[in-house]
Amino acid sequence: MASGSFRLTRRWAAFALVAPPLLVFLVFFVVPLVSLFWVSFHAPSQSELYGPELTLEHYATILTDPFYHTIILRTLSTGAVILALCLVLGYATAYVLAPLPPRKRLLLLLLLVVPLMVSNVVRAYGWIAILGRQGLVNAVLRDTGLIERPLLLLNSFEAVSFGLMTIMLPYMVISVANALASIDAQYKEAAQSLRADPVRTFIHVTWPLSSPGVASGMLLVFLLTLSAYVTITLLGGPRMKLLVSLVFDSVGSFRWPLAAAISFALLVMALIVSGLIMALLRPQRVQGRG
Amino acid sequence: MSDSGSAALSDVRFERVTKRYGKAVAVKALSLAIPRGSFFSLLGPSGCGKTTTLRLIAGFETPDEGDVFIRDTRVTETAPYRRDFAMVFQNFALFPHLTVADNVAFGLRMSGVAREERAKAVEAALAMVKLTGFAERYPKQLSGGQQQRVAIARAIVMKPAVLLLDEPLGALDKNLRESMQVELRSLQRELGLTTVFVTHDQEEALTMSDSIAVMRDGVIEQLGAPREIYERPATEFVATFLGASNLIDATVVESGNGSSQVEATFGRFTLAGSHPAGERLRLAIRPERVLLKPGRDSGALPAIVRDVVYRGMSAHVFLESGGLPLLAFVQNAASAAIDWSPGQEVGIVLPAESLVRLNGGAQAHG
Repeated sequence: MASGSFRLTRRWAAFALVAPPLLVFLVFFVVPLVSLFWVSFHAPSQSELYGPELTLEHYATILTDPFYHTIILRTLSTGAVILALCLVLGYATAYVLAPLPPRKRLLLLLLLVVPLMVSNVVRAYGWIAILGRQGLVNAVLRDTGLIERPLLLLNSFEAVSFGLMTIMLPYMVISVANALASIDAQYKEAAQSLRADPVRTFIHVTWPLSSPGVASGMLLVFLLTLSAYVTITLLGGPRMKLLVSLVFDSVGSFRWPLAAAISFALLVMALIVSGLIMALLRPQRVQGRG
Repeated sequence: MSDSGSAALSDVRFERVTKRYGKAVAVKALSLAIPRGSFFSLLGPSGCGKTTTLRLIAGFETPDEGDVFIRDTRVTETAPYRRDFAMVFQNFALFPHLTVADNVAFGLRMSGVAREERAKAVEAALAMVKLTGFAERYPKQLSGGQQQRVAIARAIVMKPAVLLLDEPLGALDKNLRESMQVELRSLQRELGLTTVFVTHDQEEALTMSDSIAVMRDGVIEQLGAPREIYERPATEFVATFLGASNLIDATVVESGNGSSQVEATFGRFTLAGSHPAGERLRLAIRPERVLLKPGRDSGALPAIVRDVVYRGMSAHVFLESGGLPLLAFVQNAASAAIDWSPGQEVGIVLPAESLVRLNGGAQAHG
């Protein structure tokens, strides 16, 4: 009986601990999300948040309008380029950092995070100062006589990808470096004792064992890329709009239901790509070993 | 014996191998030859250089001086993955993302063995460690003992020239450890696999080995069969690290007829072997070799009981004789000593054949 009531008390204690965050999650995330979903099926209204009549027109627009196709494709390819760059550069950096003594590694990782302490707005203006028509790069190229007319570096796919990549890279490095550092050195030695040369040790042991860090890094990078706005707007200008820009534009023109529908398109995109990343890397196979 | 003659029979050979970490010397000018098919243990306290020695065989460490040979091939600078050995690691180091079968097949796959042949070898290896039917499980779904067996299967499937075991039983509980000792030993005999076993557990080393190298501060203090090491320890370190020993300082009084009379603080007794009179010796005798007499009859040395500790199948009798603490083990079945009480005056006999003279001589008394 004593143990029974103890178990009951424990269950209540566990519930009491989980309840507040659960409530916050419910009130500030689930409820707004459901209402947003509801809004997305309505016609726009001049005076209200949404009009009275139900419609599928926003989703139809997103799925059929070539303009939206271009933007969705562009959003995906931006994400893909940033993911690829972050994966290669981030993994390489992490691979160098991981074997360092913990204190040194932590210090260098903190150093990587320092640039993130500068606001994205400031960073974007910094890139404009460097890449702009009158910017540093063009000035140097012109002074050395390599070009006569300034290069148009801004407002391009490359500028946005590059700008975003510099923001995302530290997340990737930190995730992967921690995963690599937590791999027991005995696994590599075991692989070598079983005739695996360094390359095959990496392919068959190090890479799969680091996959949880790679997966979490890639998820972070992709989701942050989808929700980035300032960098895209300042470095991409009016020509390089991504899906998130359209949410902003629709809200700006009071088409709330359309904005809601685009938001859901973004959410679906996030879910699909996250699922793909998990399916490709299968980080769960490494987790929870006893 | 010629050098090449002994080398032909050994699977692992060290020639004056030295390994330093910074200023600390982990292994000092170590030479040894491990005979083919033998179970060879490196025994010693932590920091004695036993693990470094094992890692030098594997190639995870390279010597600063000297040479390492595996089956007569000089491998001093050879990368680990090109050396003919297999290893069972301390925490097994099973790949968590691979099934039992894939773990066992890993080495064969890396060596380019064809899939079908691989499957057969894996099946045979798993049968050998009694894990048939566990092929598709993941390591985390197995108990500690089962993981241990997978680690052994993964190593023996390679048919290596030498099997390295790095305290592989340390992670198991006592009962499991004892049954694994027996299994591992019989598997090793069956396969005739030259095995180097690193342990700090003297009982484990005594149970399993053909030969034991007792290491201390990067050198081998004594090398020999378990019985030789236990019954004829060469140094005080070996005498006290492997089991308990009573250490006695004595002076030779007279000698003749292949035996000597020696005198210690508590009296005179006989020692096998001739020694020059006046020589100071340091002697060791195992507690189970000390004979106890109820009274003070002739031939027995006087002692006082300080304590008797009951241990079930045996008892530890703590004595004092001539100011020297002595320890004796007695069997439960056949000794009245279990009922002795502190302060009781008794007699002890130190049989001449049980006394061992240690190298280094007696330490000066203050």
